[in-house]
Amino acid sequence: MIARKVMLLGEIGVGKSSIVQRLVFDRFELTYKPTIGVDVYRYEVPDRLGRERMSLIVWDTDGNFGEAIFKHVYMKEASAAIIVSDITRPQTIATMVGLTEGFRQALPGRHVAMVLNKLDLPHEPESTVVPADAAKLGFTLYRTSAKTGSDVHTVFHEAADAIARRKL
Amino acid sequence: MKQPMPLPAANSKTPEPDAAPLLAAGILLAKRGIYGVVWFGEDMFVTARFGPLVEFVEIGTPVGDSVLALVGLEPELVRIRSEPGAVIDLPSVSIVSTSDTATPRANLTVIWAQEQKSYLLLVGRSSSRSDLEVELSRQMRARLIAEAAVTAKSKELARVNTDLERANSDLEAYASIISHDLKAPMRAFRYMVDDLEAELATGASATVQSKLSALREQSKRMSGMLTALLDYSSVTAKSDMLAETDTHALVTAIVASMPRPPHFKIAISGDWPRMTTLAAPLDLVLRNLVDNAIKHHDDDTGSVTIAACDRHEVLLIEVADDGPGIRPEHQTAVFLPFLKLERSGSTDGHGMGLALVRRTVEGVGGSLTLSSSAPEVRGAIFTIFWPKTLLL
Repeated sequence: MIARKVMLLGEIGVGKSSIVQRLVFDRFELTYKPTIGVDVYRYEVPDRLGRERMSLIVWDTDGNFGEAIFKHVYMKEASAAIIVSDITRPQTIATMVGLTEGFRQALPGRHVAMVLNKLDLPHEPESTVVPADAAKLGFTLYRTSAKTGSDVHTVFHEAADAIARRKL
Repeated sequence: MKQPMPLPAANSKTPEPDAAPLLAAGILLAKRGIYGVVWFGEDMFVTARFGPLVEFVEIGTPVGDSVLALVGLEPELVRIRSEPGAVIDLPSVSIVSTSDTATPRANLTVIWAQEQKSYLLLVGRSSSRSDLEVELSRQMRARLIAEAAVTAKSKELARVNTDLERANSDLEAYASIISHDLKAPMRAFRYMVDDLEAELATGASATVQSKLSALREQSKRMSGMLTALLDYSSVTAKSDMLAETDTHALVTAIVASMPRPPHFKIAISGDWPRMTTLAAPLDLVLRNLVDNAIKHHDDDTGSVTIAACDRHEVLLIEVADDGPGIRPEHQTAVFLPFLKLERSGSTDGHGMGLALVRRTVEGVGGSLTLSSSAPEVRGAIFTIFWPKTLLL
């Protein structure tokens, strides 16, 4: 089995830890516990025909890092980034687009997925539309809810497919 | 596998008595906040471990299996072998295994011990991350979420303000209509009554008759204006007016009932769907537009085409005529209440038709546009964007 490193980035409080907790343990906690530094998780991607068995080492990062994360040793040898925003907070979507651009420059050629999280909460309908800046970057945009689990696994399974396909 | 140094028992908690120097070294490391040491070889397999923070590390397995944070860092590990004094620092890392047990938050440092040809992983407690920092992060997140809520409320407030401004502007338009347009017939009443009094005093009964007739006309005009004004102000869409409607049948009935010169043609074309909509307001809009096209046409053999196009979210309706058209400088004014471009008396009505149409269309969340290149090109096209999902 091969292991590949995936960074989970995004502004503070967008639900990065909730996403990885849903992914690995299939649970959701209502109490907010901020991530200080990084929490590292292992997720074994279900086998799929034609893809080597793979586990993803998910680095759940502190939202306070901002774009400084790109200069950090944490980023070394990452194969992909999942960049998360909170669909109810437009500012976090702008941050997500900035982090996506930053990651692309720091580690060109790696897989990137943008995630609009908290789909279960009331939000402006236009928030579900691909932001123009994001569309320009050409990366896939997912809409997830860590609370309900909607599309959380899809994000990581498709990341694993892309890592295998592109031999990252 | 090669041992880096003669450890008494790599995972033993009680060192042997002759291990005093090692114990002293351990105390020194502990003083520096290092509570765990792991040795692993160039092949990345763990050869030894020591200390309470690294009890989860299994000897004889790849270091990445236990210390997930080192997965993927192989190129970095190779690099520090060739750079004397180089280290890899990974501060404040917590490893959460699939069994849902998190290791204490730790600062990881990897160094290459050239003499032992082995890596040394020092695991120190991450003491710099205090409860205060956790609380600060919690507060920061709460503040950001509160800020976002305030922004959303501000947006909502701005929307309400825009609605209020629109309502105020409507009110101002009303005030202007009442004060200006309705004052004119009132003034006429007063002058005519003055004249009548004077005529009666002189006994000129023939003139009195004509003045009374004019008075009746003015009264009729004012009554008509008040009715139109009432219609205009009462245009609000209500959900209980929704009905399953065959739009083709509706437009056909309008055309059949429309008075027009014998050779005037009205054609219906396009795709008219059945849909749940506000039939009465749609009837009013189409009737007024077709009526306007006929009334303002300068040729008894003119024609009007009413065409529809069923888009996904909207029903697009065009009412096109081949009349004299509307000059660009008049294209805004035609939608103002009580404004008639032709000389008074040239057509019936009170100049409320297009104002009423636009207000009705906008009342259901649609829009109305006018296109005409008069006088160079004859004709005018009114396009209605009638939403299929109505804002009620």
